[in-house]
Amino acid sequence: MPSGALVLLILRVLRSGPLHGYAIAQRIHSLSSEVLHVEEGALYPALQRILLKGWVIAEWGISETNRQVRFYRLTPAGRKQLEAELSDYGRVHEAIQAVLRTA
Amino acid sequence: MNEFFRRLRYLLNHRRFDRELAGDLEFHREMAARENRPFGNTLHLREEAREAWGWTWIDRLSQDLRYAFRLLRKSPGFTLAAVLILSIGIGVNIAAFGFFNLMVLKPLPVRDPATLVRFQRFSPMGYASVLPYPEMAFLREHSTTLSAVLAWNPSTLRMEHEQRPLKAQFVTANFFSELGAAASLGRLLDPSRDEANGAEPVVVLSYAFWQSRFGADPSMAGKTIRLNDKPVTVVGVASSEFSGLSLDSPELWLPIVQHPYLVNGSKLLTDYSVEGSGVAVWGRLRPGLTPRAAEEELRSLAAALRAGHPNDIWEKESLPGNPGAYATSAISQSHHGTGTKDPNRMIPVAGLAGALVLLILAAACGNLGSLVLARGVARAREITIRAAIGAGRGRLVRQLFTESLLLGMLGSVAGLGLGYVVLQGLMAVSGAPAWMNPAPDWRVILFAIALGFLAAILFGLTPAFQVVRQHHQATLVRQILIGAQVAASCVLLIVAGLLVRTLNHASGDPGFAYRQVVSINPSLGNHGYPPAKARAYIDTVESRLHDLPGVELVSSASTPPLGNKTVTIGIEIAGRVIHIHPNSIEPSYFQTVKIPLLRGRNLMRGDTDAVVVSQSLALLGWPGEDPVGKQLELANRKYTVIGISGNARVAEPEDRDSTEAYFLADAADMPSMVVLVKTSGRPEELASTLASIAKAVDPMIIPEVQLMKTSFQQRLRGTQYGALSVSLLALVALFLACLGIVGLVAYAVSQRTREIAIRMALGAKPSHVLAIVMRQFVRPVVVGLLVGLGGAVALSRILRQMLFGVSSLDPVAYLGAIGLFTATVALASLFPARRALLVDPKSALRND
Repeated sequence: MPSGALVLLILRVLRSGPLHGYAIAQRIHSLSSEVLHVEEGALYPALQRILLKGWVIAEWGISETNRQVRFYRLTPAGRKQLEAELSDYGRVHEAIQAVLRTA
Repeated sequence: MNEFFRRLRYLLNHRRFDRELAGDLEFHREMAARENRPFGNTLHLREEAREAWGWTWIDRLSQDLRYAFRLLRKSPGFTLAAVLILSIGIGVNIAAFGFFNLMVLKPLPVRDPATLVRFQRFSPMGYASVLPYPEMAFLREHSTTLSAVLAWNPSTLRMEHEQRPLKAQFVTANFFSELGAAASLGRLLDPSRDEANGAEPVVVLSYAFWQSRFGADPSMAGKTIRLNDKPVTVVGVASSEFSGLSLDSPELWLPIVQHPYLVNGSKLLTDYSVEGSGVAVWGRLRPGLTPRAAEEELRSLAAALRAGHPNDIWEKESLPGNPGAYATSAISQSHHGTGTKDPNRMIPVAGLAGALVLLILAAACGNLGSLVLARGVARAREITIRAAIGAGRGRLVRQLFTESLLLGMLGSVAGLGLGYVVLQGLMAVSGAPAWMNPAPDWRVILFAIALGFLAAILFGLTPAFQVVRQHHQATLVRQILIGAQVAASCVLLIVAGLLVRTLNHASGDPGFAYRQVVSINPSLGNHGYPPAKARAYIDTVESRLHDLPGVELVSSASTPPLGNKTVTIGIEIAGRVIHIHPNSIEPSYFQTVKIPLLRGRNLMRGDTDAVVVSQSLALLGWPGEDPVGKQLELANRKYTVIGISGNARVAEPEDRDSTEAYFLADAADMPSMVVLVKTSGRPEELASTLASIAKAVDPMIIPEVQLMKTSFQQRLRGTQYGALSVSLLALVALFLACLGIVGLVAYAVSQRTREIAIRMALGAKPSHVLAIVMRQFVRPVVVGLLVGLGGAVALSRILRQMLFGVSSLDPVAYLGAIGLFTATVALASLFPARRALLVDPKSALRND
């Protein structure tokens, strides 16, 4: 998984609502038909980085197993960042596709 | 910006954040375990996650510091030695900087120092450091850029029942209020009361004088004392921290308008002449104005004043301003002259002093560097283990450097203490004013911290690199460290040698007799004596002096040797401008002070157009020719040279030029003449009789009697202090270098015991063994000596202005210094080297 893509995926996954760390990894794994596996060693440092940048905030909640755990929620700044990264990614993806098709 | 605040929040709450992260990971692990998924190393994860916040360097630093602290505690001997060495190296630098801080950086303790400016007179034709009082008054009245003008004039006054004259300052009445001074008793001078017409004469005492002379009498305010036989009311006592605007500590302050009341025939308030005493002038700028604006206004005011007094104010006179509230601006004595003012000669000397104390620091760091290197090599095992666990080179170097940093900071603290003690001692010895506080202020503390850092880099960084790279021999680094110490000690020793030689030379013959001569300065000009009256006074005094037993010769001169006045005038000789020191004398002058007449004849009565020039002036003005019969022009009059006198270092001991020109004193010179008496007995006894004679001739005049011997000693004091301090520093550096070399020789012997044992078993002679041990040190010592030599030659060029009579390449000083160094080091290193000889081959070979 390219390193920049992880942040994009996390932000996208959180757009539909706050999730705790394990759920984020699960969602990415299942939505990608089990192709993308997010390691904890990559997920949590990434989460810390986007916490630092202020794109998500962490708040306490109850998990499905009745445990207190932190849920990460997208902030307005995070939403803006997500839009920006999505359009960037779209453009880059188009460009790569164009080269692969015709070159 | 927000990101930074978020980082800060993390730092302040990092424990809570850590726990929350641990909780998250715990939860994740549980969920992963349920589904039998593998999970990574929690601790490693947590560390990696924490790195995102960017504060890990604090963690590492505190780790290293704690470890360093433990290490230092475990080896108290090393720590003590290191801190001692560092405290000397840093402490000396802090003392020097502290002195610099007091003199130059720290403003005087007065109100709002930034707006105070000192004004002096300047024009294309000459300069003066004081202004005539009437000029100051005119400027004060008409200036709009200055909100206040302060002026003062130093003087001495006689008080009843006091043996010695008291130091006084006549000041403008706003002096104390402008400087924000508080009274410790009564009140201080008040502009509305003490400068009005018909104000009653008042005086303010200094705190020290009030304590010593009046026993801190609380009822002092309101009492009357008699100064110069006139009654004056004491209105109050200044506080002990009051500094005024000068470095001397006057005992009395009086309003300047009272000068005529106290000093007979005073012309201070009306005298425009540049030779008069004048007043030192300070001004306070109005808020928002620059000194430049004030200078512009004063320049035009001076031009306006010149219209009314064309002879007294110079053409194109300007009054440049300098920041006034610093000790350096308070130092300059009253002087005036033509030509340009000498550039401040203190700056190169200060730079030299700074370089010398830095050398001590270099020597200390060199020494400590070898120690740190040796210790690092002994820790090879620990370093290897750390590297094996995964510490990178950078990390290891950082750890070792942190240990040096800790030592450096400890050295800084110790150095601050030592520096304070040294500075305190220096100030006590040199009689600094009481308000000068040597306690370190924020600048000195900052400087100490910076020096600690610098020292740590100097002695800790390179050994750190060497140890981490596992260079156990590190011979090159060791040799460089030794070489640096040798060079530093060498430079210091040579400079000390030069100063000692200068001291010897300066205490020698200055070209005139001073031991048996007493000078009597009645300052007739300041008392308003017209020339005829002055001549009568001088003649009477001289004839009475002739009658005293023991008096051999009596004479007089306008600028006596070692007096407080210097006059320099530029004249034209054959089209060239040369600066001379003119002196108006009576013919018996040369004999009285024993200045030899080398050619031609002495001045005689009636020689109104003749001049006797000193030898240097003759060489300078008429090189290669015989000056007798030639002419020179001064103040639009032509004078013929009739004789050449020997050089006499009359102005200052380091006066290289001694371009004196002697003219016969005429009537106009009489008010400024100083009487000189040569006695065959003890000059001290003569001095006491002189006061009574002067009083008998004219009770209104109390002349200043000075033994020329005492003035001479005072002149020497600067060089004495210089020679003493540098010698002390040089000895400390020598001691450090010896320690370093001895330590290394001992270490080398212990390392090579086996080799020595084998050589001795094979029949090597003792001298051969010694040579082997010492050989590795010969090269760094020689290189160090050469570098030190070069450095000393470079530095001594700056020193030249302090080395009167001694060349900056004086062979005696250089050879003596190098000889002393080599002998000491060779002797010292013999002790550990001898142990090499005592090696018993059998046991040494068997033990290994």
